[in-house]
Amino acid sequence: MKKTPFDLAIPVEDISSCVSCGLCLPHCPTYRATQEESASPRGRIALMRQAQRDSSIDDAFVGFMDSCIQCRGCETACPAAVPFGSMMEKTREALATQTSYQPRWRRFGYSFLGKPRLLRLGSIGLAVLQRLRMVPRRLPLPKLPFVQKALIDSGSDVWLYTGCIMDAWMRETHLSAQRVIESTGAGVKFPLKGASCCGALHVHAGLAPEARALAKKTMASFPGEAPILVDSAGCGAQLKAYGELVGTEEAEVFSRRVMDVHEWLAERLEQLPTTQEPRPKVVVQDPCHLRHVQKAHESVHQVLEQYVDLIHLNDDGLCCGAGGAYATFHPEVAKEVRERKLSLIRSVEAEEVASANPGCLLHLQAGGVRVRHPLEIIDGLLTRES
Amino acid sequence: MQKSLQDNLFSDLQTLLGERARDGDFELGLYGKDGSVLEGRPSIVCLPQSTSEVQEIVKICRRYDTPFLARGSGTGLAGGAVPIGEPVIIATAKMNKILEVDLDNRIAWVEPGVLNLDLSNELLPLGFHFAPDPSSQQVCSIGGNVANNSGGPHCLAYGVTSAHIAALEVVLPDGQIAQFGDLTADGAGYDLRGLFVGSEGTMGITTRIAVRLTQNPPEVRTLLLDFADVRDGAAAVSAIIAAGLIPAALEMMDKRAIEIVEAFVNAGYPTEADAVLLVELDGLPGGVEYGVELVRSVATRHHVGNVRVAADEKERALLWKGRKNAFGAVARIKPDYYLHDTVVPRGKLVEVLEKVYRIADAHDLIAINVFHAGDGNLHPILAFDSSEKGVLERVHAAGRAIVTASIEAGGVLSGEHGIGLEKRDYMGMLFSAHDMATQDLVREAFDPDGFANPLKVLPTGSRCSDSFGQHVPDGAWV
Ligand SMILES: Cc1cc2nc3c(=O)[nH]c(=O)nc-3n(C[C@H](O)[C@H](O)[C@H](O)COP(=O)(O)OP(=O)(O)OC[C@H]3O[C@@H](n4cnc5c(N)ncnc54)[C@H](O)[C@@H]3O)c2cc1C
Ligand code: SF4
Ligand code: SF4
Repeated sequence: MKKTPFDLAIPVEDISSCVSCGLCLPHCPTYRATQEESASPRGRIALMRQAQRDSSIDDAFVGFMDSCIQCRGCETACPAAVPFGSMMEKTREALATQTSYQPRWRRFGYSFLGKPRLLRLGSIGLAVLQRLRMVPRRLPLPKLPFVQKALIDSGSDVWLYTGCIMDAWMRETHLSAQRVIESTGAGVKFPLKGASCCGALHVHAGLAPEARALAKKTMASFPGEAPILVDSAGCGAQLKAYGELVGTEEAEVFSRRVMDVHEWLAERLEQLPTTQEPRPKVVVQDPCHLRHVQKAHESVHQVLEQYVDLIHLNDDGLCCGAGGAYATFHPEVAKEVRERKLSLIRSVEAEEVASANPGCLLHLQAGGVRVRHPLEIIDGLLTRES
Repeated sequence: MQKSLQDNLFSDLQTLLGERARDGDFELGLYGKDGSVLEGRPSIVCLPQSTSEVQEIVKICRRYDTPFLARGSGTGLAGGAVPIGEPVIIATAKMNKILEVDLDNRIAWVEPGVLNLDLSNELLPLGFHFAPDPSSQQVCSIGGNVANNSGGPHCLAYGVTSAHIAALEVVLPDGQIAQFGDLTADGAGYDLRGLFVGSEGTMGITTRIAVRLTQNPPEVRTLLLDFADVRDGAAAVSAIIAAGLIPAALEMMDKRAIEIVEAFVNAGYPTEADAVLLVELDGLPGGVEYGVELVRSVATRHHVGNVRVAADEKERALLWKGRKNAFGAVARIKPDYYLHDTVVPRGKLVEVLEKVYRIADAHDLIAINVFHAGDGNLHPILAFDSSEKGVLERVHAAGRAIVTASIEAGGVLSGEHGIGLEKRDYMGMLFSAHDMATQDLVREAFDPDGFANPLKVLPTGSRCSDSFGQHVPDGAWV
């Protein structure tokens, strides 16, 4: 296979921190789906090491790197604290700048995310096609609305982050989150104009400069000191990482204000209203960016447990295969990874699945199970009661 | 190997396996290492999915006069799965089905690539598990366990892998298929099953394994004992066993091990203690209670500090998670480690431990001890940074001194990790030339031409047919 020059700058202390013990392998969704060393964290690190040593790569290398879901399950599993996520981001960035890894059409697609108006228009177009039954059911799309309900501020105790696709497709979730936050007595404020997309998908794709530009716009849309609550695990993880991404004091301060909405609620359990509603049986799926990156999944459990009988999956938080844009570009692997999760879900008796990340939610839903955001489930119970 | 020969070999393997035969530059590099610090390079990697594919691969290799080497999950710590002399790697990872669970006979037939913990998790709802539980159990394969006759914390009471294997289907080095052992308690003839377990891939490749199932104990209690002096801890180990109790597990960690493990799991390991013992008792409720009190009173006589009994399954799991991730967690203080695996008589634990610390000091290295104390199986870890100039020589010298000290204390070379490449040339420290020649004869009975995992286990020179490349990789202290 043809080799091309490649300059990969991963700090030596990071790349040498992997001792090849293999303990991460079973926690890696792509290894689980393939049993291939090249699709494992240990293997990918060894490949990075090889690329760095030889200063060259081939197409196979690009494929091995591209097949990683960036779920970071390997980080949780790794006793040696190997910073896999940042190593993979550096590799993707080097690929995007030095090779044709991100062709123009893909960059164009990503740029869409930062343009709310275009995104909205596109979504309306999709909604039309959906009504005409021209969108295959297996695609991970929710039922898209023609008209969106308005987001109305109710105070200024906390900000509620809205995001790009999630706001265009799933605004109802934000409204549920708003109502649950308000039920504790707090007032919610929505972002000023300019906060379009957090840039997570760009970072994953190696488009760090684009992500930095989005980060700066986002930071400017949340003035003041109020906490910034996020109801999407992927966005929350990215907002919390602005400190590293942007590298300024201001970004550090911003990131410290960010909380997953469940983290904030878990600190106020006694303020949450109780209900007389029967407790449904709900199985919780821990989104990777909540469990392995933010390490905040237990707050979702705590909040949900106030209202439902919670069932946990015995899989150490193995990824469901959604991975932001991953399922779009790697539908086969994503499906295989999802099958593992689905069979576990089907093996327990539950009415529905709770997922605190829109990407996982839609991906699982397309696999044929009923999934809602935890706060939609809670909002439903609270609303029914009143 | 000649280029054209290699091309033909690859093309035959490709005809058999399609895209599951690999020779890409990057990918070959991935199969050059296992969990040790040794490294080699295969000529081709094959990923078979069935016994007949394994058989065909072996036959093709024989046609091209090329050695081959089985690989499970690549977690071995003695370089057993490290390819030397450009062999073809036969990786069993895709052969990962649990074929049959036969509760009447308390047997499960599994493929070799099934992961150890996956099997026990699968059996959990039925009330059974596979007893050998190496600390790597979440990832190591049953085939690798068989090949290395692996042990684990709970093998103190339950016995190592060999005690849990009823029968094996094996592709022999000449390509024939054989079954060793059967489901009866004591088959007629030589125990070839027993011979194969622990043969480290040198007698063929196992493709189906009948494992014995162990009932999950009705009651389990896990205790964490801390000691202000590592000597008291070691003395308590011997005293517990001398008191007539064989706990399910009896593990020890020294101060440094406690610190790094706690940094990973946050399980409340006492970082101020000099040593801890992790003791597990299982069985019927009354017996377990009795055991807990016995351990408590013996430990008190040996100046135990705190005795913590895990309150629930969650706490218990967290304590074990710490123990089982200890080796990897070493990387938190130094990027490389060399892990040793020797066994000493329990009564000599204190003496040998002190020697280990002295040896490490003398070679300006850090020694960390976390080990299966109950059966005297020491695992001194030498942590180092391979980018430091000359450090490998010091590591090797210290390693040799540790092995020598263990053998002088009446111990042996390896408790459970196997000999592989790493300890191959140490065999002479323990065995006479006559012993080794006899072992060679046994190996030759299975593999007269030296095709299966050549250059491992027995030192070169002890067999005349080892004609494949003599190259030993950098970093090996053979
Ligand atoms: C963190 C860590 C902790 C560990 N803890 C323990 C422990 O507590 N106890 C212990 O005993 N070991 C331990 N080990 C060592 C290792 O995990 C075991 O030796 C394990 O059994 C190896 O399994 P594997 O699938 O990784 O085999 P590999 O490393 O892939 O192979 C090991 C040997 O088995 C041979 N082999 C593999 N599959 C087959 C087959 N199907 N047929 C014939 N030969 C085959 C290979 O050729 C090789 O010689 C530990 C390792 C690590 C990294
Ligand atoms: S980030 Fe996820 S997919 Fe990628 S190597 Fe780690 S565990 Fe595997
Ligand atoms: S990434 Fe961590 S867990 Fe995985 S092989 Fe390397 S050190 Fe071990």
